[in-house]
Amino acid sequence: MIELKNLTKIYELNKNNKTIAIENINLSIKKGELIVLKGASGSGKSTILSLIAGLSKPSSGEVIVNNKQVSKLPDNFASEFRQKYIGFIFQKYNLIPNLSVQNNILLPLVPKNLENKIANELLEKVMHDFKISHKKDEIVKNLSGGEQQRVAIARSQINNPEIVIADEPTANLDKELSEHFINILKQLKEKGKTIIVATHDPLFFHLDFVDSIIEISKGEIKSDT
Amino acid sequence: MILSPEVLTLLILDVILSFFSIIAFVISLKIVFKWNFNSTSKTQYNLEKQSFLGATVIKYILYLKILLFIFFIFTLDKLSNVINGAMCAAGVVDATSYGIYLLLFKILNIYLFGFWLIVHNYDLKHEKLPFTKQKFIFFIFIFILFICETVLEFTMFYSLDIEKLVSCCGTLYSTSQDSYVSNLFKLNQNYFLISFYIVFLLQFIFYYIKNSYLYTIFNLLFLLLAIITLILFFSTYIYEIPTHNCPFCILQKEYDYIGYLIYITLFSGTFFGFCVGLYSLYFENRDLSLKFFKLSLIINSFYILLVSYFVGSYYIKFGVFL
Repeated sequence: MIELKNLTKIYELNKNNKTIAIENINLSIKKGELIVLKGASGSGKSTILSLIAGLSKPSSGEVIVNNKQVSKLPDNFASEFRQKYIGFIFQKYNLIPNLSVQNNILLPLVPKNLENKIANELLEKVMHDFKISHKKDEIVKNLSGGEQQRVAIARSQINNPEIVIADEPTANLDKELSEHFINILKQLKEKGKTIIVATHDPLFFHLDFVDSIIEISKGEIKSDT
Repeated sequence: MILSPEVLTLLILDVILSFFSIIAFVISLKIVFKWNFNSTSKTQYNLEKQSFLGATVIKYILYLKILLFIFFIFTLDKLSNVINGAMCAAGVVDATSYGIYLLLFKILNIYLFGFWLIVHNYDLKHEKLPFTKQKFIFFIFIFILFICETVLEFTMFYSLDIEKLVSCCGTLYSTSQDSYVSNLFKLNQNYFLISFYIVFLLQFIFYYIKNSYLYTIFNLLFLLLAIITLILFFSTYIYEIPTHNCPFCILQKEYDYIGYLIYITLFSGTFFGFCVGLYSLYFENRDLSLKFFKLSLIINSFYILLVSYFVGSYYIKFGVFL
């Protein structure tokens, strides 16, 4: 379902200042799998996620998702692709702090121009699924870290995407909230979603429902277990 | 040389736009020689990035050039105040041997710039950017015309001499020997007028039978006949003077700048008409082709109503035709 072929990403500020973020990555992820990308900061995990989501383009190589060459998509098509297939959970949540919970969650639906009734049904469902309904009208900046993350997860799921990508999702959470997040991931996996998590949180390394743990170091795959 | 604020604006913008067009030209050359969309090499990814940059630069250059065409006409009209004998832009165009060629060149170029923008928009609507290489080849051709136009524009403004006495539009658009169109006045204007309305009606028929090629050809005929009938017939009703046939005076304040509306309508209507043929020839997209059909017909109909209005209103006011 997701295939990375000879994927290389070099950040090139100028001819003498190059950073090789990832080099010759080959990876295949099947539908419904939960994959953990583990590695230290700067190892290239986030780069891989942004390339899979079509947020950036590789320097060479291919990213193929559902037989679509994501790495070759022009920006407007990459946005459409993300809207349709990807739910992205960011480390710092990337919520709009001055908007309410429901308005943040509804954001991915804006380009779809859905009828209010349908949009509200979807909103109620995800808020219920991620237990944030009681904070519906609260301004996001007033929420706790754990609540903000549930809003971020709800926002990533309102389009019901096939693929969930989470970049260091527990970096700002305590152990209890991290375990709660892991439970949410388990539920999403049970629903058949393909999940890719980039993390260096040890909590993810011994979970029985994780299909594969891939260690990334200095932009290369070191081990795949 | 006259360095009025308008001329300076045009020349400075020409220099700036030429600079950016050279950058776009270099990118175009790279794309034309190395583009291979199926490749996943570093070169191809770099070219894809550069193609978006290049296309964006070109897009804004061409949009600006289209707008600047209107400003160029405005400038010519304004310069008529300082050139001896000139009463409107016609005199300024006639003041140098380059004027008429520059004007025709600019008209041709705005059509071509518009076509490039249409190809570009169509290309961006497709995931695999099927027309990227073609649009940059097209730009290389446009770049040559663009530079020629810029050189011609500099040459024309450089050659303008305010001391030199030029002919006014009353002479230029008459049966006199100095006239551009003296031969036209020897022909029966009724033939042109009847042909003009028939060609317009035929466009409706070609729309109904969806014959895009005939529609495009007749659109070209419509453009030519529209300009001829405007000079020979309709202009006299706008001026309400039977001997005044200038196609430039209508751009002046005295006539409420109606010329701008007339020419923008004529050029945009016929432009979309040409796009009908372009789409059928290259893109095979019926929906968009239909959209251009409708746009062209609506705008051309508006043009017909606009120029016919002056004839009708003259008749209502004075009870006679000129």
